[in-house]
Amino acid sequence: MGTNTVEYIQEKCAVMRRDVIEMGYVAGGRGAHFGPALSSIEIVASLFFKVMNHDPKDPRWPERDRFVQSKGHACLSYYSALIESGYIDKKYMSTFKQDESFLSGHPSRNIEHGIEISSGSLGNGFGVACGMAKAAKIKNENHKVYCLVGDGECNEGIIWEAAMNAAKNNLGNLVAILDRNGVQLAGKTSDIMDVDLAAMWKAAGWDVAVVEDGNDLNQMIEALEAMKNSTVEKPHMVIANTTKGKGISYMEGSLNWHARAMDEEQYKQAVSDLEAAE
Amino acid sequence: MSNIPLDKLQDWSKQGHRTVMGDSLVMLAAEKPEMVTVTADLTPTARLVDFQEKYPDRFFDVGIAEQNLIDFSAGLAVEGLIPYAVDMAAIVPMRPAEQMRMALGYMNLNAKVISIEAGVRFGPLGNTHYGMDDIAVTRAIPNFTVMSPSDPLSIYKTIFAIAEHDGPVYVRLTGGPGFPIMYPEDFDFQIGKAVEYKEGSQVALISTGSMLGPAAEAAGTLEAKGISTRVVDMHTIKPLDTDMLDKVFAENRLIVTVEEHNCIGGLGSAVAEYKAGVEGAPRQVMASLGDEFKKIGDYKFKLKQSGLTAEDIAALAEANL
Ligand SMILES: Cc1ncc(C[n+]2csc(CCOP(=O)(O)OP(=O)(O)O)c2C)c(N)n1
Repeated sequence: MGTNTVEYIQEKCAVMRRDVIEMGYVAGGRGAHFGPALSSIEIVASLFFKVMNHDPKDPRWPERDRFVQSKGHACLSYYSALIESGYIDKKYMSTFKQDESFLSGHPSRNIEHGIEISSGSLGNGFGVACGMAKAAKIKNENHKVYCLVGDGECNEGIIWEAAMNAAKNNLGNLVAILDRNGVQLAGKTSDIMDVDLAAMWKAAGWDVAVVEDGNDLNQMIEALEAMKNSTVEKPHMVIANTTKGKGISYMEGSLNWHARAMDEEQYKQAVSDLEAAE
Repeated sequence: MSNIPLDKLQDWSKQGHRTVMGDSLVMLAAEKPEMVTVTADLTPTARLVDFQEKYPDRFFDVGIAEQNLIDFSAGLAVEGLIPYAVDMAAIVPMRPAEQMRMALGYMNLNAKVISIEAGVRFGPLGNTHYGMDDIAVTRAIPNFTVMSPSDPLSIYKTIFAIAEHDGPVYVRLTGGPGFPIMYPEDFDFQIGKAVEYKEGSQVALISTGSMLGPAAEAAGTLEAKGISTRVVDMHTIKPLDTDMLDKVFAENRLIVTVEEHNCIGGLGSAVAEYKAGVEGAPRQVMASLGDEFKKIGDYKFKLKQSGLTAEDIAALAEANL
């Protein structure tokens, strides 16, 4: 994966955004978490197409890097990466959120299709990821654990319980990425819990980097590669400033597109926004 | 508390339980100055936007922090306020169960916890979002009253009734947009007192929450086949209305409990626990979500999957009579 060019990954990002819209639209009245998926596309694409060491043909390969999407409601960015890297056949896209589908509205553990753990109840994925990183150390394995968390998700107590414990255990093999899109469910993150996240993660004992624009692929890859290659024996946190709903004109930064159903007109607009960007 | 006209009930039925709760809280706030609402980043989801706008000084969002939702509410209750903590049943009570036991149950504080979307109406979102175990968890906490109203008017009445009850209450809300009006007119609603929704001498269908609709429909099917069927709306699961159960035990031959909850620890368990000590009580079968993480699907699909449609309930009763 490590040899892919930025141009190639950029194209993947475009296709992934299109996948997100297609699957979310297929969900119809069931709705989808569009905003949270779109802010995290470059983060997830950087991991799956550049930074992580993995083999879609061998999802159980013991040495694979692990990815945990703790902000599980953004499953569409995760699913689109799994689809575009070959863990999930494209034919399943139309089953998103449908009766008996394994593509539920939050990830459900399914190693065969690259889904390492179930998530969706905020905070828990991160705690589990910390345990997975510790296990790698206990077993003297060299793979890394990458974990995507939300900025609203950092309201949860379990995040800080796990963060302190990860630092205590010197989990240098753990890289968390904070999708700092500034919006949570009920409003702006700064209105709901206005805290200095970088300072808090540092205070918890983490090695922290801030990416000015987490929707800029070059910046994102550079920050993740630096953390991956870091020899600092602390858990690593990449705070990525992103835009919720990135790529769709009427969703960007909006408080209304956390989760909802998309109608035909909105779908057409979304598709044309994505086409115009290509 | 006021009389709710039919057109309001029809609107509520169309909107679903969240709107009934949100509107009722606003109405209650006008009458109870010490009442406040607390939530954990669910303001629009739980239809609390109106409340927040009308009573900004009596509305608190603790962020996505359900344990603190309970402890913060407990602190308010210690000082005499009446907090209504609102969240979703998949997360509360499970995540802050210990806070609910220690801070609310143990100290018998006058705080109310209301969870929206209990059961499996969040079908496509998957198992992390099903509230299948909330009755079990809260029922096992001493001092807690546990309620599950069945329709728009009974939800409204619950919100008001618990304000007058001094102690911790957990309310699970079920019934999405389009849930039926079971009580078109004012009726006698008291905490701990089940409603005999329909009389009948052979089968007794005892339901809670949204399952009253399918249970009443199933009763119609059974009656058409000549099977006399009683329907009981057990809107309060704790304390259980044992007077009503004594009557059922004496007069009915088969009990079917119907609930959108795990078969362990819910209404069926509560009835069975009481029944175990009553000599000669009738047989009981349970319609429930079972004890399993099942595949996802739409609400209708999920109910069918667990045998919770009217046809399934009627068939279960008939097969066991
Ligand atoms: C424990 C828990 N509480 C509440 C929710 C409901 N919920 C889903 S997403 C969300 C907001 C998440 O915000 P953030 O972490 O900032 O992620 P974003 O959507 O901005 O990517 C909430 C409150 C949940 N899924 N889990």
